[in-house]
Amino acid sequence: MNILTILIFIPVLFALIIWAMPSAWRGSFKFITLAATLIQLGLALFIYFHFKTGTAFGGINQEAQYQFVQKTHWINLALSGNTKLQIDYFVGIDGISLAMVVMSSLVMVIAALASWEIKSNLKGFFILFLVLDMAVIGVFCALDFFLFYLFYELMLLPLYFLIGMWGGVRREYAAIKFFLYTLFGSVFMLLVMIGLYLSVQDPATGNHTFNMLTMMNPANYIPGSIFDNVNQFMLFGVHARTLGFIILFIAFAIKVPVVPFHTWLPDAHVEAPTPVSIILAGVLLKIGGYGIIRICAGIFPDVALSGAYWIGLLGVISILYGALNALAQRDLKRLIAYSSISHMGFVLLGIASLTPEGIGGAMMQMVSHGFLSSMLFFLVGVVYNRVHDRDIYSFRGLSTLMPRYTVFIMIAFFASLGLPGFSAFVAEAFSLAGAFKSFTFNGLLPQWLAVCGVIGILLSAAYFLWTLQRMFFGKVLLKGGEVWQLALTDLNIRETLTLLPLALLAFGLGIMPAVVFDNVNDSVLAMVHFTTHFMTK
Amino acid sequence: MQELLPFITSKINDILSGLPFFWPEVFLSVLFLVVLITGIIFRRNAAAICRIVSVLGMLFIISLDVPQLFIDPVTVLPLFSGMLTLTHTATVFKLAIDVISILLLFYFAWDKQLRAHKKGLGDLYTITIASILGLHLMVMATDLLSVYLSIEFVSLASYLMVGYKSEQGFSASAGLKYVLFGAAASAVMLYGISLLYAFTGHTYLGPQFSQGLEKLNGLSVSFALVLLMAGIGFKLSFVPMHFWVPDVYQGAATPVTAYLSTLPKIAAFGMLLHLLSPFMQSFTWAGFDFQLFFSVIGLITMVAGNFAAVMQQNVKRMLAYSSIGHTGFALIAIVTYSPAAQSALVFYLSVYALANIGALILASYFANVTGAENVDGYKGLGFKLPAASVCFVIILISLTGLPVTAGFIGKVLIFQAAYSNYQQIHNVWLMALMGTGALTTVVALFYYIKIPLYLFLRKADDNHDYHVSNQSLLVAVILISVLLVGLGLFPDYLMKWL
Repeated sequence: MNILTILIFIPVLFALIIWAMPSAWRGSFKFITLAATLIQLGLALFIYFHFKTGTAFGGINQEAQYQFVQKTHWINLALSGNTKLQIDYFVGIDGISLAMVVMSSLVMVIAALASWEIKSNLKGFFILFLVLDMAVIGVFCALDFFLFYLFYELMLLPLYFLIGMWGGVRREYAAIKFFLYTLFGSVFMLLVMIGLYLSVQDPATGNHTFNMLTMMNPANYIPGSIFDNVNQFMLFGVHARTLGFIILFIAFAIKVPVVPFHTWLPDAHVEAPTPVSIILAGVLLKIGGYGIIRICAGIFPDVALSGAYWIGLLGVISILYGALNALAQRDLKRLIAYSSISHMGFVLLGIASLTPEGIGGAMMQMVSHGFLSSMLFFLVGVVYNRVHDRDIYSFRGLSTLMPRYTVFIMIAFFASLGLPGFSAFVAEAFSLAGAFKSFTFNGLLPQWLAVCGVIGILLSAAYFLWTLQRMFFGKVLLKGGEVWQLALTDLNIRETLTLLPLALLAFGLGIMPAVVFDNVNDSVLAMVHFTTHFMTK
Repeated sequence: MQELLPFITSKINDILSGLPFFWPEVFLSVLFLVVLITGIIFRRNAAAICRIVSVLGMLFIISLDVPQLFIDPVTVLPLFSGMLTLTHTATVFKLAIDVISILLLFYFAWDKQLRAHKKGLGDLYTITIASILGLHLMVMATDLLSVYLSIEFVSLASYLMVGYKSEQGFSASAGLKYVLFGAAASAVMLYGISLLYAFTGHTYLGPQFSQGLEKLNGLSVSFALVLLMAGIGFKLSFVPMHFWVPDVYQGAATPVTAYLSTLPKIAAFGMLLHLLSPFMQSFTWAGFDFQLFFSVIGLITMVAGNFAAVMQQNVKRMLAYSSIGHTGFALIAIVTYSPAAQSALVFYLSVYALANIGALILASYFANVTGAENVDGYKGLGFKLPAASVCFVIILISLTGLPVTAGFIGKVLIFQAAYSNYQQIHNVWLMALMGTGALTTVVALFYYIKIPLYLFLRKADDNHDYHVSNQSLLVAVILISVLLVGLGLFPDYLMKWL
């Protein structure tokens, strides 16, 4: 049994167990979910330690270089007129997927630990949680576009219910906005997917295929098809390949999110309950980044090269706009949501540069932001659970009341803003170095883009440190007075156990980034090599 | 009279040679009479016994249909000197209609409002069997006369079915609207048919028919064809023949709505495929551009149906507008008209029928248990009736066309057929249709998700506890949901038969 398949479907097995259990045992549901996520983390770490590195395992567009591959026939529809629809169950990972899979597994454990605060409709919550878990891991492992799309869409429905049923005051609005926004992007992705299917043929069998790796090789495109790169097909006055890239990019840009497609994020993140916010910020945003690397840049590298300046520009706009918005927020959760937009801008900048440092930095930022945003949202949840208020101005001097909490939040804030010694510094440094280097390396991005990106680091220091000072230092002054002072107890054991590994990871990855870089490096180099190949044309 | 004598032997031979391929229809007529007589003989248990007889009869008819599937798909068998034609597509449509009709025959007895009818349901089963015979004829019709005859056959049966429950004002007015609108549409269609006969001198829809039309003035031919399409549009409910749909679907009894929204639509699509074949297959036809006509109609129908559904509060009315939207989407397959598109169309319609019947069964279920007709009344029912609500979510996701349900596979198949056709002929309307199809999927999600929104995301106003006596509706709907998800993951099992 392929270990990736087990990894993907184990949450569903546990979801079935929870479904079959009687409601009287609802106290055990959270432990079952925690067990499921821990088993998943164990499997992910097993895969991590057995992952082979070296130039022969770069992956990206070489099917033989992927590891833990499983490819079985799944759907074989024979329509009349000799048309066939052939879809395979094709999963496999390379360095880029590996980093995402391990990070997602860990974030899921944190989210499961954060789910202790959910008090109503536990069966539904944990079943939806585990289905979402399966979909997320499936997205990162799928190498067949149809399978990828299936898992990608499968994330939306559980999230709608998770946000809409257990969320905050404006949860209905946030949930439907998220669902419609993301569906809009992905439904047009479906059209491009089918166009690509009909444009490529498998070199071995001669049939059309959804295999993403076949789509990455220009030799497999049927002459005269829509996405053929030799005969440039024009659609509504635009090159079909450019249009395809733009549609796919918009679909993933909504997920990243990239300004101006980011407006769903503040609402969704703020109104969602803590565990769902952790999954949203920690994992879902990375699916957008992963999609841009694997699909947009992988299948349409020619358009990615010609559009690199615009993508880099959008990245810098996200960095600055997100940071400026965060500076203006009163609600702590909303501030962290906007800071997520800002930090994901570094990912986009790194990808746009198409240099080894840039893409490596983007990968590191995705991993690091996964842990750090989980930590930040968990910390917000701690205070919110105690007093049901997230307004920054309602608190002063929390360090006196909750010293351990202050330590963790200081670590989280300093790590997020990019203090050297923590993972985000390595990530942002590499992304900016890549963006800066891009001018001399491949001539894609001008150097002033990187300079503007640096301002983003300054702004994130501004809003994080200002919040730290306003909420934690100084004399104790709480909006709720005595009642709040009694409610604001320090972290309990479960919360400390959740935050400690995250803090250690943030620090560990900061001083030993090789943990991530060693495994990601071959794929990153393969990616750069793959795209430079298109530049020589 | 004398001049017809030499033709009599050949005509009789024609009829007799066509009979072996006509067994399902012959037995349908026999079944109709049997159910009618059963209804008369067994006065007291008429409903139950008629139901058993009709279901067993339909199973027997399916067993007669299945051997016809194994006839070589390329053969085209004209029956009764071209009045009807048996093709592989026609057989597949007939099979789909029969299987869905069994589900409907079970469903009739489970609706509280129909069950409470004074006269009992025996006659309803009789009328349904008669309408199924009409649907079979519709799918095989290739002569203008048989087209008209079969459409009228089905219409008459439908009028009776809609009028079956007409005590209150709204239902009675719905029935009357249906009859008047249907009669007008039939009259218009008959005028178009008479014009076409006058133009060509043929009623058989073969190559001579299209060649005869080619020689004439384009405007008059277009006029006659548009009038003919009016009658078909009434059954398919595309714009502008869709105005009857919301009122009739809302006013009729829910099982009858389930029948109206699925079976006549499937049969009308089958008939349309046959009607268009002489024109689409002739290389010299340059008169009326059917592709342009159906592209424009498809676009307007998709947009009108989906956007109008957003504003609806009544569940059945919303499903009515959504069915108009689905018709618009299925017209993409008609515009494409390749063999792949025809298979895709059958798959899409079968899955849509299954999901739509499931949605209406759930509407019945909720109306039976809680008396809720509007979406408002579903507040908080997700926690009191969890199984039904979860099934409703799955069925609505299939209707929207999201993975992992069969509705998504249907959409993918139609998109794929349209795309392949686009690569060959570069018709910009196909691109526009596909883009609109994608966009209306998002709009459709908005109104379909309103039901789970009220079921799960809103809290109930009171703390009623609901006691459900008859669980057959729930069992049927659970089976349908499981089938939809199963077909979404492994569509091979259905596609094998199509």
